[in-house]
Amino acid sequence: MDFELNDDQRAILEAVGALLERHAGAERAIALAPKSEYDHALEEALHEAGFLELALGEGTGPLEAVLVVEAVARAGGVVAFGAGALVAPGVAGRSLSGPVAMASAGNGSPIRYGAHARSLLLLDADEASWITLEPGDAEPVRSSFGYPMGRVRSASGDSFGRGSGERMRNWWRVALAAEAVGTMDAALSVTIDYVKQRRQFGRTIGSFQAVQHRLAECAVLLEGSRWLVREAACLGAPSQAAAAAAAHATAAANRVFTETHQVSGAIGYTREHDLHVWSMRLQALRLEFGSIAGHQRALAEARWGEQSR
Amino acid sequence: MEFNWSQEDGEFRRELAEFLDATLPSDWDEISKGGPGSEAQASFSREFAHKLAERGWLTQNWPAAYGGADATPWRHIILSEEMWSRGEPRGPQYMNVNWIGPSIMEYGSEEQKREHLSRISRGDVLWCQGFSEPEAGSDLAALRTLALRDGDVYVVNGTKIWTSYANHADFCFLLVRTDPNSKGRRGVSVLLTEMDLPGIEVREISSVVGERYFHEVFLADVRVPVSCRLGPENEGWSIVSYALQYERVGAPRYARAALTVDQIAAHARERGLLSDPMVLQKLGEARVLCEAARLLTYRVVDQRTRKLPPSADSNLARVAGTIADRAVAELALEVFGEDAMIYGSFADSNFRMAMTAGVAVGATEIQLNLIASRFLGLPRE
Ligand SMILES: Cc1cc2nc3c(=O)[nH]c(=O)nc-3n(C[C@H](O)[C@H](O)[C@H](O)COP(=O)(O)OP(=O)(O)OC[C@H]3O[C@@H](n4cnc5c(N)ncnc54)[C@H](O)[C@@H]3O)c2cc1C
Repeated sequence: MDFELNDDQRAILEAVGALLERHAGAERAIALAPKSEYDHALEEALHEAGFLELALGEGTGPLEAVLVVEAVARAGGVVAFGAGALVAPGVAGRSLSGPVAMASAGNGSPIRYGAHARSLLLLDADEASWITLEPGDAEPVRSSFGYPMGRVRSASGDSFGRGSGERMRNWWRVALAAEAVGTMDAALSVTIDYVKQRRQFGRTIGSFQAVQHRLAECAVLLEGSRWLVREAACLGAPSQAAAAAAAHATAAANRVFTETHQVSGAIGYTREHDLHVWSMRLQALRLEFGSIAGHQRALAEARWGEQSR
Repeated sequence: MEFNWSQEDGEFRRELAEFLDATLPSDWDEISKGGPGSEAQASFSREFAHKLAERGWLTQNWPAAYGGADATPWRHIILSEEMWSRGEPRGPQYMNVNWIGPSIMEYGSEEQKREHLSRISRGDVLWCQGFSEPEAGSDLAALRTLALRDGDVYVVNGTKIWTSYANHADFCFLLVRTDPNSKGRRGVSVLLTEMDLPGIEVREISSVVGERYFHEVFLADVRVPVSCRLGPENEGWSIVSYALQYERVGAPRYARAALTVDQIAAHARERGLLSDPMVLQKLGEARVLCEAARLLTYRVVDQRTRKLPPSADSNLARVAGTIADRAVAELALEVFGEDAMIYGSFADSNFRMAMTAGVAVGATEIQLNLIASRFLGLPRE
């Protein structure tokens, strides 16, 4: 047991922090949003610097990849980094560059990066498959929830074989939870900065206990999610730990959404204020792949269900 | 960063579990029904703690110089988890090991260390915590119990309240005001007070939580030798802070709660409820909350291992633990339904244990205040 970053991990985070400083951030996310653009430049930069290879790297692994997934999400990056750098290695044994989308077979729901994706990881019961998408295979879907969304019309591809479905489910949950952690972290810190400077009744609103307690409870949920995700990644995404991370992080995301907006007042709903960059995404993450209740049930089934007996 | 247990730690947990399987009597469930403060459990603890001490485990986390084995805080949390998840066979003695002993080590005179630490590490003694008073709850610094110097004794007058285990205790870690003209955190001291001194009267306060749960301790002209004072006169507040920081994450209630969720699931299976998606969802939710509390507690343990100064992480862990306790108790009621109306039933006992989580060891709102100021950097109200 050891909860501190080691020197290598610290170096990785510093390097990716510097890269994100240049290539990501609220301003960039806001600039890309009107046309639902994908951030190819950011993805290219992450790829070139080798961050996509962390999960299968020498001396690094999924834990390092998760730390970077958190960081990219915190910086508001509009890239499918979790899918390419964490889920693909976990399922296919290699990273995938170029926008990667993830979908569950047969449900036809909009998926993140669906219209931009060049490849699709498709989950179908016990099997996951990899599909190369051609232009026209997918159509964009307008969404309020902060990511470019799309729907894949038809697709078939190469299966990774029996058992790959379980791997995909688990790594998907870890990636999703890691993104939620980074996104909550940013939403909360934008909000903390705001309540420290916004004054009403002659004092900063951050000095009101009603405001403080809402944010303090968010912090408890966020930090719990953070450690659950890191533990799940470190242990190689066993089903219980993966579902626990996703269940906690999505429930926390929902709460952080509500509370950060509540204490930000009307300005929080505007595109002038950065909160929306992260808050709206929290709802997409919360809904993706079965939503909060789905992850909770998955954990219960993994721990107490028939198959676990 | 590493989330796997070392092989040695894993072996320790196994060895401990085997020891518990072999040592706890067949009617342990019955004995432990009333909680660590019950008559049955407190007297059982004297015998049990001896056995732990013989194995060198009771105070393994203490320095060797004080009867310990310099075990890491990780070993200590493993021990605490195994104890709590079995209903705490150490009874009230977990407090001795967690924060009373360490406070004496930090602030005690050589004589006090000799007297108290050896007794604690033999498993020979029960303590209680005399902090709260009728007018001093969350605002502990409002305490009024007065200890006035008269030669080489203090004459103590006042009332302590909510004092768990006071009925069994040999000693009280008693917080008093030694400067009658002081207010707040200045002018308080800690007296390591023998409970059988003349003038001390313990009365049970009847409660719905359990039998012999709460007590009032009345102190009327109790003469406590000055040699029993821990640390310098009037500077006891730093001892309080030191003790509370260990107390807050001392009892891993999440371990107990997690085991309870497993038991609820087993019961749900028997009743054919495991196919109900709502039941599954709630079981999952409850388990996740226990897991989050576990990791936030581990975060604090990790900081202790590194000898870092105490941080607001212990407040995060406390709040997470309370959220978990509540969710688990609630779920037990839902799954056991009307059976929970029977006193002493599984769901009932669990519910009563959990109902105090948000108040005992510092109310949730106080923890949230501390998170807001120390963790989020928000201005004080
Ligand atoms: C099971 C149990 C065992 C205990 N054992 C012991 C023991 O062995 N020894 C001992 O000394 N004490 C013990 N206590 C007492 C415990 O420490 C106190 O109950 C606790 O500190 C709260 O004090 P109080 O009960 O007076 O509540 P109060 O302080 O009156 O609080 C009541 C409510 O007001 C809120 N409140 C108070 N101040 C603020 C504020 N500044 N901001 C926002 N909200 C506020 C609280 O959060 C709470 O919700 C025990 C309590 C319990 C429940």
